[in-house]
Amino acid sequence: MNELYQSLVAVEPATLIVTICNLFIQMYVVKKFFLSKVLAILDQRRAAADQEISDAKAARAEADEIKKTYEENMKKAREEASEIVSHAQKTAEKRADEIIGQAKTQAAQIKEKAEADIAKEKKNALNQAKDEISGIAMAIAEKVVERQIDEKDQEALVNRFIENLGDAL
Amino acid sequence: MDISINGARIIWTIENVPLLGKINITQTVLMSWVVMLVISALCIWLGSKLKVYGISRKQAVAEMAVTSLVNFVHGNMGPNFDKYIPLVGTIFVTSVISNTISVLGFWSPTADLMTELGWALVVFVIITYHKIKSAGIGGYLKGFLDPLFVLAPINVMAECFTPVSMACRHFGNILSGTVISALIYGALTAATHALMGALSSSVVVGIIFVLAGVAVAFIAKKKGKTVFFILGIVIGLLGLFSFAYSLGGFFSDIPYLAVGIPAVTGAYFDWFGGCIQAFIFCTLTTLFIKQAAGE
Repeated sequence: MNELYQSLVAVEPATLIVTICNLFIQMYVVKKFFLSKVLAILDQRRAAADQEISDAKAARAEADEIKKTYEENMKKAREEASEIVSHAQKTAEKRADEIIGQAKTQAAQIKEKAEADIAKEKKNALNQAKDEISGIAMAIAEKVVERQIDEKDQEALVNRFIENLGDAL
Repeated sequence: MDISINGARIIWTIENVPLLGKINITQTVLMSWVVMLVISALCIWLGSKLKVYGISRKQAVAEMAVTSLVNFVHGNMGPNFDKYIPLVGTIFVTSVISNTISVLGFWSPTADLMTELGWALVVFVIITYHKIKSAGIGGYLKGFLDPLFVLAPINVMAECFTPVSMACRHFGNILSGTVISALIYGALTAATHALMGALSSSVVVGIIFVLAGVAVAFIAKKKGKTVFFILGIVIGLLGLFSFAYSLGGFFSDIPYLAVGIPAVTGAYFDWFGGCIQAFIFCTLTTLFIKQAAGE
């Protein structure tokens, strides 16, 4: 087989043109099937990452807002609760005072009534005693004096006696 | 023996083409199409089934390649020349594949000056476009008269030699690798023939060498001496080769010494040199374009 070779440094226009055409075709293939695809993926990933970051920021802002509202609500609730408690305490104190006042008044009334009753009873007892004593005295006097005295005189006499006796008592 | 270093083999000749006359379809053209097919297949494979999340190992490699390419162009040219990313990437990957394909025993298209000259001419057109764009056509032509109008011929020459120097730098490095590989291969083949010719004067010599080598290796192994063990094996192999050589025919055509050693020089000239030259060509491309745009 007769093999022909170019010289070591040969200028061959056809090869040159083929090489340049090859370069452009190759460039098109590399760009279309590889570079632009991979770059698109890289861009997509970058965009996705940016999206994630902005989403995270938004979520954090929202969470902060919710926390703030929650804290405000908690504060309000606490204030309300303490208000309710203090109100209840006041009411309870007032009620207790009222009850104590009523009780005192009632007790005073009862005491007064009791005293009045006691005084009445005492008076009744005294009157009874006076009557009994006058009866007894009259009987004694009848027996002792044995003299028929006018009923009226006798009674006045006895009453005077008893009054003297009462003063003495 | 004689060593001949030739250019690309002419596979097919077309006569009487208008304008160009005789066209030679050479190994360069054929191999450049092979390289194109390889790169296109690689691109389509790497560019398929891309996902935004949960990427595969293949996609990680593709993304790393693209990212480093973009970083390379941005680092050398700044962010305003993104349209040249495909050009730089294509030249780089084509150059690397073309340079390293010679490892597999193929003719590498970059061992033909026309390949590099084609790339360099494209770059030259872009450079000139940017020069005219930034300075205007008048400013561009005036630039040749700088600093003295007498220097205009030299300036024109300097301008024209930009692509020539770019092409020749790349081509020369690849060519030198090819030449040195051929020389080493030739030298080792010659050394094989000389050595084996001396040893295989008789079949007996080979057998004696084999026996002596085995004996040395056996004794060295028993005494635990590594150096002598290797020496014994080498002597044994030499004997074996010279025995095979003395049989003549097919066995006497194998250059035994040239089996492993060229791989070492090939590693430097094909792999390291190939990648470095591709890198240098792309760096110069980016720097020249940036310089021309005056940014």
